[in-house]
Amino acid sequence: MAEVGSGRGGAARRGFGELGTPRTPRGAGPDEAPPPQGEVSEGCRLPVLRRNQDNEDEWPLAEILSVKDISGRKLFYVHYIDFNKRLDEWVTHDRLDLKRVQVPRKEAKTPTKNGLPGSRPGSPDRDPNGSARRAVAAQPGRKRKSACLGTDEDSQDSSDGAPSAPRMTGSLVSDRSHDDIVTRMKNIECIELGRHRLKPWYFSPYPQELTGLPVLYLCEFCLKYGHSLRCLQRHLTKCDLRHPPGNEIYRKGTISFFEIDGRKNKSYSQNLCLLAKCFLDHKTLYYDTDPFLFYVMTEYDCKGFHIVGYFSKEKESTEDYNVACILTLPPYQRRGYGKLLIEFSYELSKVEGKTGTPEKPLSDLGLLSYRSYWSQTILEILMGLKAEAGERPQITINEISEITSIKKEDVISTLQYLNLINYYKGQYILTLSEDIVEGHERAMLKRLLRIDAKCLHFTPKDWSKRGKW
Amino acid sequence: MSKLSFRARALDAAKPLPIYRGKDMPDLNDCVSINRAVPQMPTGMEKEEESEHHLQRAISAQQVFREKKESMVIPVPEAESNVNYYNRLYKGEFKQPKQFIHIQPFNLDNEQPDYDMDSEDETLLNRLNRKMEIKPLQFEIMVDRLEKASSSQLVTLQEAKLLLNEDDYLIKAVYDYWVRKRKNCRGPSLIPQIKQEKRDGSTNNDPYVAFRRRTEKMQTRKNRKNDEASYEKMLKLRREFSRAITILEMIKRREKTKRELLHLTLEVVEKRYHLGDYGGEILNEVKLNRPEKDMGTTPSSLHNGNHHKVQECKVKHPHHSSLKEEVADVVRQKKKYLKKPKLECVVTPQPLAEPLPVLSKSDIKQYDFHSSDEDEFPQVPSPMSEAEEENDPDGPCAFRRRAGCQYYAPRLDQTNPSYEGPELAELDKLRFRHCLTTLTIPRRCIGFARRRIGRGGRVIMDRISTEHDPVLRQIDPEMLNTFSSSSQTLDFSSNFSRTNASNKHCENRLSLPEILSNIRSCRLQCFQPRLLNLQDSDSEECTSRKAGQTVNNKRVSAASVALLSTSKNGISVTGGITEEQFQTHQQQLVQMQRQQLAQLQQKQQSQHSSQQPHLKAQGSSTSDCMSKTLDSASAHFAASAVVSAPAPGRSEGTKEQNTSHNNINGVVQPSGTSRTLYSTNMALSSSPGISTVQLVRTVGHSTTNHLIPALCTSSPQPLPMNNSCLPSAVHLNNVSVVSPVNVHINTRTSAPSPTALKLATVAASMDRVPKVTPSSAISSIARENHEPERLGLNGIAETTVAMEVT
Repeated sequence: MAEVGSGRGGAARRGFGELGTPRTPRGAGPDEAPPPQGEVSEGCRLPVLRRNQDNEDEWPLAEILSVKDISGRKLFYVHYIDFNKRLDEWVTHDRLDLKRVQVPRKEAKTPTKNGLPGSRPGSPDRDPNGSARRAVAAQPGRKRKSACLGTDEDSQDSSDGAPSAPRMTGSLVSDRSHDDIVTRMKNIECIELGRHRLKPWYFSPYPQELTGLPVLYLCEFCLKYGHSLRCLQRHLTKCDLRHPPGNEIYRKGTISFFEIDGRKNKSYSQNLCLLAKCFLDHKTLYYDTDPFLFYVMTEYDCKGFHIVGYFSKEKESTEDYNVACILTLPPYQRRGYGKLLIEFSYELSKVEGKTGTPEKPLSDLGLLSYRSYWSQTILEILMGLKAEAGERPQITINEISEITSIKKEDVISTLQYLNLINYYKGQYILTLSEDIVEGHERAMLKRLLRIDAKCLHFTPKDWSKRGKW
Repeated sequence: MSKLSFRARALDAAKPLPIYRGKDMPDLNDCVSINRAVPQMPTGMEKEEESEHHLQRAISAQQVFREKKESMVIPVPEAESNVNYYNRLYKGEFKQPKQFIHIQPFNLDNEQPDYDMDSEDETLLNRLNRKMEIKPLQFEIMVDRLEKASSSQLVTLQEAKLLLNEDDYLIKAVYDYWVRKRKNCRGPSLIPQIKQEKRDGSTNNDPYVAFRRRTEKMQTRKNRKNDEASYEKMLKLRREFSRAITILEMIKRREKTKRELLHLTLEVVEKRYHLGDYGGEILNEVKLNRPEKDMGTTPSSLHNGNHHKVQECKVKHPHHSSLKEEVADVVRQKKKYLKKPKLECVVTPQPLAEPLPVLSKSDIKQYDFHSSDEDEFPQVPSPMSEAEEENDPDGPCAFRRRAGCQYYAPRLDQTNPSYEGPELAELDKLRFRHCLTTLTIPRRCIGFARRRIGRGGRVIMDRISTEHDPVLRQIDPEMLNTFSSSSQTLDFSSNFSRTNASNKHCENRLSLPEILSNIRSCRLQCFQPRLLNLQDSDSEECTSRKAGQTVNNKRVSAASVALLSTSKNGISVTGGITEEQFQTHQQQLVQMQRQQLAQLQQKQQSQHSSQQPHLKAQGSSTSDCMSKTLDSASAHFAASAVVSAPAPGRSEGTKEQNTSHNNINGVVQPSGTSRTLYSTNMALSSSPGISTVQLVRTVGHSTTNHLIPALCTSSPQPLPMNNSCLPSAVHLNNVSVVSPVNVHINTRTSAPSPTALKLATVAASMDRVPKVTPSSAISSIARENHEPERLGLNGIAETTVAMEVT
């Protein structure tokens, strides 16, 4: 347990500690004595000017995570409290409201577990549901341990045999309380991928020497990274891939899906994971890609099969996960591709004859997408049910689950979310209100991209018989 | 009814839920909110993220509007899709194949260099291109190789020159450039690579280290004890494997040495052949002049000519008699005492013999090879070829474990002498397997014998010689018939010894009346054919029936396992006796008996040396006809036996040893050769010695086709021998009759066929005539019939033994 943080993380934290400034736990009131101007440092909280999507100026509270000096000009890496990390950014001095700085208190009465004042409360007591799920997901290991980690908290990990290593199943970490400052900050400014320039949302462990570059150049097809356009040019003379290096298992129109084995095609899988990590906060790249399959969705044009999004899937999941990580690349977002990916993942589960659920935790976008998919899928079924012989149509939750391959719990949560399930005259009933029906019909009109099961050429493999992964 | 008191049942996923739509919807105001009954399902999100601003806004917007509004979308960092040079970058077009794309995942690794040139490199390239031509790819390959060859330590220019197959100047230029660039490089390599984990675990928390190997398998159950055990097992396995490797190395070395030795032997023999050193005299001279090199080995006597045979016998007897008491000992002890004879043979001064040349072990070894190698020439192999493996500390009577054999402890109940009289003890021993047997035709007692069913149901009589044979032979079936018809099958194992134990015999031999009385009193078992069949002259059937009866009558002793083992004996290989053969055999036996007796008397007084010419004559005359040869051979045999006959008491010792040896050694597979030879030895040592000769004779005669097998007795697979070899086979027979005198041959249990060859050699050498027919004939037989490997290497047998040991 006495895991010492890596040099980088440790140094960062030590530096943080040496500041000598009192830390303020989350939610603590502002300190009475504001520090003099110019002494804004890591850990301070202050309103930072931010322009919202409606182009309005806001001054949300933000936390300074890092300060850097570029040619005499100070830049502050800020995290907006109660906003997603993907919106964190480097800001100049003039966007800080220095009059309202909250300096972190030195010794908080209830010291936070992670020792990091941040958006994540270290408090272990969460609501019962959340903590229960967390316990399952986080179980034997954590992504990282820090030097200031309390031994009591992770004492159960010692039974694992690899106390400092995270669990080896799954692709996501749910407990980020031990993230160090490095992983909390975006490290890639911009990625050029084919026609697109992507602004990463999160940290990704690309080779460190590539992190300071204004643009990281990726080969659109093999996802290899280079530090300059010239490198990419040179690479393209040698790379003849025009599609993901896997087997095409689905094609309808311009949409294709490729299956890539994380063990057989390591370099592509790793490159894909590095790219995906830029947009998936909870994704972990701690371990190799061997136990995963990657399903890459592409859109074809005359240049080749362009990656749109992907999802990964454990070859063998002990927890009914049919998706590990799922991502629609930002340029393709909000165009229905996410739902297409989700639909495809359930189609695979249907072929396998299993129900499945995405690995937790879900991101905000993930939750919205899944809820939307579940809602539409379940409503589709419910509305398709016809009354038989004057009888009111009825269906069990298990039946819904079987038809859709959506795990039972997800069906229930969706029914709850849609407020369809009600208790009436001693039994549960499903009620489809008018606005639900209307809303669904409208949504389905917009949902043009659908998976056609006939176009899927997929034979599930029994990975348990193939040795390990 | 209060709403609050109402408690809904848990939601049952298997229970059908009726669906109410639109206007059918009941008024749910009365209903208890579902949230009270069904626990709220978790969203699956991190709690603190769940509370994030934009998400909450989006969710509430969806709740309200049932549809996403543009403004309610969670904002994300923007992405641009306006890379204008895209078409220039990704040149060419890619036509979508009709078929689904299928790729062989392991074929993806092309030989392209991982290093991609940048603009800085381009400048260098442009500069270099003024002097020489260098293509970008070429440059990239060079840098790629340099990068991959160096870790944190850069490769030196020398190494670079080895790595790169380029012009020296170009290498120098690129190398210098590379070193400079590498020094300025921010990363550990010019080819950007994901940080790798370090084994020491120091990188466990490094956020830039990714894709660590999953060292531990996913465990379903943690059992550290089990892990430890399997770890230890692995260690053990490793140790054993490395041991196996060592052993194999050593075997390899040994075999190489052996081959060398073989070649050297061949050379020596060739040299000797050119020198005409057929008797080994020159070699011995040379050897004698040389200082004794092998210190750990006792020089074994060179058995030369006829003297030797006598000596051996002489030497043996005192030894055996002295060790008589040890007979009942267990195998291990047996082994120990067996060790002694050789030493005695060797050490005991030979008063009668001319000074014998001394040979070192290696020489003996040489002739092991020699005997099998030198088949082309009718040359007389050296006399010492019969000498045995020198490495055996147990000497001639070595007990060797054989692979695949199961050895039991000696049966003490059999060997335990509860009687005092040595000769009675001897008889008692015999009766375990052999019974006094009477034949119908000729009507006489053949002494102790036992019956076996041979191949094809043929009846085989194994006879054994005792010193009582002359007496027993006088027993007429008629004598027995008068009284013993009912007593045949009686088991007298218990009372025999007891009764006889009381009679103390000063003489070694029981007299005829004594035996008869023993038989009568059922103390001694005697088998005889049934009387009604006696007159049947054309009775193949009868004979068999008789035989069958004998079998039935014969008490199957506890040592029946041993019976099995004796079938490996040369006799068994003969394949069985036809009636005709049997009869002729019996006649011959009678004839031989007479002759031998005559010779016995005749030669009793003759000097030891006088045998030599006689033998020679016999040897050379063997090729005439079969019966004659046999006769002369046996006569000769008998003669030599008589000459060498020691005091009767001693011979008993021999016999006793022999029997016990069978008991002990023979549980599974005693070597047949040794057994036969033993009995031969016994016959020689005992004064009448006839029955053993007969025994051998039986072998030779009954199955002429299988003569060689009979002689090369313990050979696991009898050598195939066709009729064309008959004449020579006769010689072989003759030879074998003579040769068993050699103690060393007895020891040769594990490699029988070389032994047979050596027998031949001995025979030839005994005659001291280089071109003696028998030996040459034998060698030619051997040449024809032995597999070359066996010929060339008696080392095969040695190898097997060695392997067992290791």
